[in-house]
Amino acid sequence: MSQSLSVPASQERGAASPTAMSDRWFSILLIVPAMLVILVFALLPLAYALDVSFRFADLTRGRIGDFVGLDNYRAVLHDRAFWSSVGVTLKFTLTAVTLEMVLGIAIAFLIHGATAGKGIIRSLMILPLATSAAVTGLFWRYLYDTQFGLINHFLGLVGLPEPNWLGDYTIALWSVILFDVWQWTPFVALIALAGLQALPKEPFEAAELDGASTFRVLRTLTFPMLKPVLFLVLVLRTIDSVRLYDAVAVLTRGGPGTVTETMTFYLYRTGLKLFRMDYASTMAIFFLYAMLVASLFALRPLLTQFSSRASEG
Amino acid sequence: MLQRESSFAKEALRYGLIVLVLGFIVFPIAWMIITSFKPADAIMVSPPRFLFTPTLENYVHAIYDKNFLFYIKNTLFISVASTIIVVVTGSLAAYSFARYNVGDGHLLFFILSTKMFPAIAVILPYFLIFREVGKTGIGSFLGIGLDRPGALIISYTVFNLPFAIWLLVSFFQDIPRELEHSARLDGLPRLKVLAKVVCPLAAPGIAVTGVFTLIFSWNEFLFAYILTRKAASTVTVGVESFFTLQGILWGPVAAAATISVLPMLVFVLAMQRYMVRGLTFGAVRG
Repeated sequence: MSQSLSVPASQERGAASPTAMSDRWFSILLIVPAMLVILVFALLPLAYALDVSFRFADLTRGRIGDFVGLDNYRAVLHDRAFWSSVGVTLKFTLTAVTLEMVLGIAIAFLIHGATAGKGIIRSLMILPLATSAAVTGLFWRYLYDTQFGLINHFLGLVGLPEPNWLGDYTIALWSVILFDVWQWTPFVALIALAGLQALPKEPFEAAELDGASTFRVLRTLTFPMLKPVLFLVLVLRTIDSVRLYDAVAVLTRGGPGTVTETMTFYLYRTGLKLFRMDYASTMAIFFLYAMLVASLFALRPLLTQFSSRASEG
Repeated sequence: MLQRESSFAKEALRYGLIVLVLGFIVFPIAWMIITSFKPADAIMVSPPRFLFTPTLENYVHAIYDKNFLFYIKNTLFISVASTIIVVVTGSLAAYSFARYNVGDGHLLFFILSTKMFPAIAVILPYFLIFREVGKTGIGSFLGIGLDRPGALIISYTVFNLPFAIWLLVSFFQDIPRELEHSARLDGLPRLKVLAKVVCPLAAPGIAVTGVFTLIFSWNEFLFAYILTRKAASTVTVGVESFFTLQGILWGPVAAAATISVLPMLVFVLAMQRYMVRGLTFGAVRG
């Protein structure tokens, strides 16, 4: 909105030209503090982790040890527990994100069509987003409790089986997923709703005049126009889910056995419970690499699209 | 097209479903708040009890026996300190990105990609580094080290700065440039323009970003859990201290959880209008 109103180029140059160099320096000076923070406190630690990944570092036997080349990398690639945590993470991400997207979009349509009370509906929807997964997740343990939990109480009332939500090998991961769906479906719904409400009216009025079926309007108009927003939500949710830790830590601690042990949790356990920093750092490097590739190829094109649209609009 | 007679039934169905969804969303939080007012003998019972005489004994237990306000105080100090650093350095950088396009977008994306790092990849080296720094004189002087507030202030600053910069860039882009241009033409130096013209206009956006940063820091768990033991622990870790050998004390847990969640609920409700924008790094303006 602002850019299109900006001062004509000639006038702008008139203001800037006597101090053209200074403009550049001024802009660089402004970013120096933030860049320093990021370089010193984000990149240096990563460089340190990279260094540790090439060394022997069993903290139970003292300090960071000798250079061992690629030994840790070989060990990680042959580690069953690592691959199993990758599997758990993928299973969690795929299921949770799919459920959140489908339910979230459905809820957005539901609310979009509502005639009254949208304000209060939205207020209630955002509540889970305000809470910390570590705090509400802990309380969900009480809801899941086999003896005193409310969920099993209700299931019992309608005569359904009362599972051991967090203790059963086949169910525990689903219980973590259910909690995540509770917390993050509103996020998807809110953003999809914002996307729906920002759609232009004209094409839909035209489609209605043409007598197009609801399904056809959805397929040819609504979804194509919503696609960028939905993709952005999908990517943000996926990146977040892959790093899941809080819910697992408070609900199941990776158990029973290791059926809910996500990558972050396994890394935490190897590095800070077993104190194999070398090994944990190596996995962290793999993890980091995967996330960087993902954000470069999935997130960047999307955000570029949004920022160019914002500056045109 | 809609049939008139069926539209009432359709609306009824729609609101029925909405109520169902909202029930599912609100219920766990509501049950937590309800449990926090339950007397001990109404908590560990089967079947769960819905009628009881409300009591404050869980709050008394959480605040006096478990000293929960200590964690609130820590959290407040750490989140506010980190938010101030984030907002100040973030605003300067965001203004530069929005107006001068430093780094042609590449730098801005690089900053965001650090937000996409798996936190655990940074925490492992942090643990090693803070362990060493904490043993030195400078470390203890600055309060940096394991179980010292500085460690978390640094962590939260690093992890919230990319988010804050992106959100702030979107707010700065919304401010018309004319005022800055005319102020420049009047001969005001750049820093003055930034302080006297841009900052007042950007104040709402800066405030929104600050509140988001505060919420994220307040709710953070992983860094707090690994980098603190007791002295610098925050609320998310403090709630875990209610695990005892006799089991989890659900009443006091619910009370402590309510105390720590309530301020954030209020903030989020106040920020409603900006929720979507904040959660998408400024991309969707909602």
